[in-house]
Amino acid sequence: MRNDDLALWELSEIADAIAEKRITSVEATEACLARIGIWQPRVNAFLRLYKEKALAQARAMDAELAAGKRRGPLHGVPMAHKDMYYRKGEISTGGSAIRKDWRAPVTATVLEKLDAAGVVELGFLNMAEFAAGPTGHNVHHGHCRNPWDQSRVTGGSSSGSGASVGARMVFGALGSDTGGSIRLPAAACGVVGMKATYGRVSRAGAVARSWSLDHVGPLTRTVRDNARMLAVLAGHDPGDSTTSEKPVPAYEALLDGGVAGLKIGLALPADGPAPLDAQVGAAVQAAADALGRLGAKISTVTLPDFTALYRSAEVMVKCEAAAMHRPWMEKMPEAYANQVRTRMEAGFFIPATQYIDALRLRAHFVAEFLATSMAGVDAILLPAIPFPIPTIEETDTEEKGGPAVLKMVAGFTGLTRPFNTLGVPALSVPCGFDSNGAPIGLQLVGRPFDEAMLYRIGHAYQGATDFHQRVPV
Amino acid sequence: MDEKTKTAAGIAAGLQGLEYDGRRLAEIAAEVEVLNDAVRRAAEARLAFDDDPAAFASIMAKEARS
Repeated sequence: MRNDDLALWELSEIADAIAEKRITSVEATEACLARIGIWQPRVNAFLRLYKEKALAQARAMDAELAAGKRRGPLHGVPMAHKDMYYRKGEISTGGSAIRKDWRAPVTATVLEKLDAAGVVELGFLNMAEFAAGPTGHNVHHGHCRNPWDQSRVTGGSSSGSGASVGARMVFGALGSDTGGSIRLPAAACGVVGMKATYGRVSRAGAVARSWSLDHVGPLTRTVRDNARMLAVLAGHDPGDSTTSEKPVPAYEALLDGGVAGLKIGLALPADGPAPLDAQVGAAVQAAADALGRLGAKISTVTLPDFTALYRSAEVMVKCEAAAMHRPWMEKMPEAYANQVRTRMEAGFFIPATQYIDALRLRAHFVAEFLATSMAGVDAILLPAIPFPIPTIEETDTEEKGGPAVLKMVAGFTGLTRPFNTLGVPALSVPCGFDSNGAPIGLQLVGRPFDEAMLYRIGHAYQGATDFHQRVPV
Repeated sequence: MDEKTKTAAGIAAGLQGLEYDGRRLAEIAAEVEVLNDAVRRAAEARLAFDDDPAAFASIMAKEARS
């Protein structure tokens, strides 16, 4: 073990140590609570902390283990989740003011799965209002701050998930990703985030941003931790008819395949929605070189027309969000942050035919992507965020606004949102630090339902690098 | 007010029962134009009569590698 502070251990180390009774769930939970006591005032990751409830739950997990019952591979592990996963009878704000006192009528399927696996719930985490925003700003609950530099953004919309895992306050957290909202905070906070294939993880009982593009997934400190968590979360759910009935692979058992002989395409799009920063490009190139030294065959690939993919996604998001938010937008428009409300308004004006065509185009986009960019490669490597992590002030659309700020904010999702349109899996892994000391994330993209390949590559990369082991101080 | 903004005003007041000022309608009209054009161009190049939104789920299942 690397450290006396249990909070700095990895999820899989903690879970295994609890299972082997070398430590208790109570000890792990107390370590997280101590860490939260230090970091919460700095980063504002938690919206609600359930200290006593979590300790009681940890005691119950320890008692079960003492009686010979281990619920699963996450037994006794403390986590917290983006405040958009419903737990019956409990407040679930969705990061909004509108739902600040609203209590959920059902429990999200993913929370039921984590409960069944023995996870201890420390509380619920900050997020962009109604999961709409790529930076981590929140005018209602306070901005979430990056643990590496509290003047900088966390990425969003799963801001608290990225910040809490990055600051080692929790061992894992649920996020959600409609245009990059798992991968962006993972990249900005120096952790691992998986947006699995559309249909791999149930969305039932989660606040929707766009039913067609929403993906539920885990943020963790390492690829191994992420694989363990996704294996619990994934699978068919009768409560979400879009989930796949395909069996869930044993992701963790497949991690050690190595990358020798694998074909990995490298894409460094210089002319994307935001210009690629030189130091971000260099970090991703260095990651490709590292994988090459491990035996992977690296080649350059061309990405599809991101403009069509990006704008099709915008059409879907705006139309679906406008439809679901209309009653509140009419009755209490002032209850929304301006940038959250205005981003949805175009949805009232887009013709239904355009929306339907955006949906009809997806199959064509996927076929083209697989036949071109993915042809002959096992995965594609590209940056997650094309520029160094900006400050909260630089990206404050509510206070500052203006075309330059809006352009920078839109640029966050330039390399992530297209993969929501495609529905293919995408994994963000730390690959360096910029000149400001903020993390840089690489993105691995794969074929439908090939999360195991992305984990295998990411795990091999983490075996050769130590970016994931660095901890903010 | 240009023609596109007038169209947006007509949709807002006449079809959706929503109220926006002229400046906001002009912004929305410009935003919608960009999005519509992108989808229309992509659709013209790809879509045929039989294209079904559910084909997305089908191709994801068909192309699955696991």
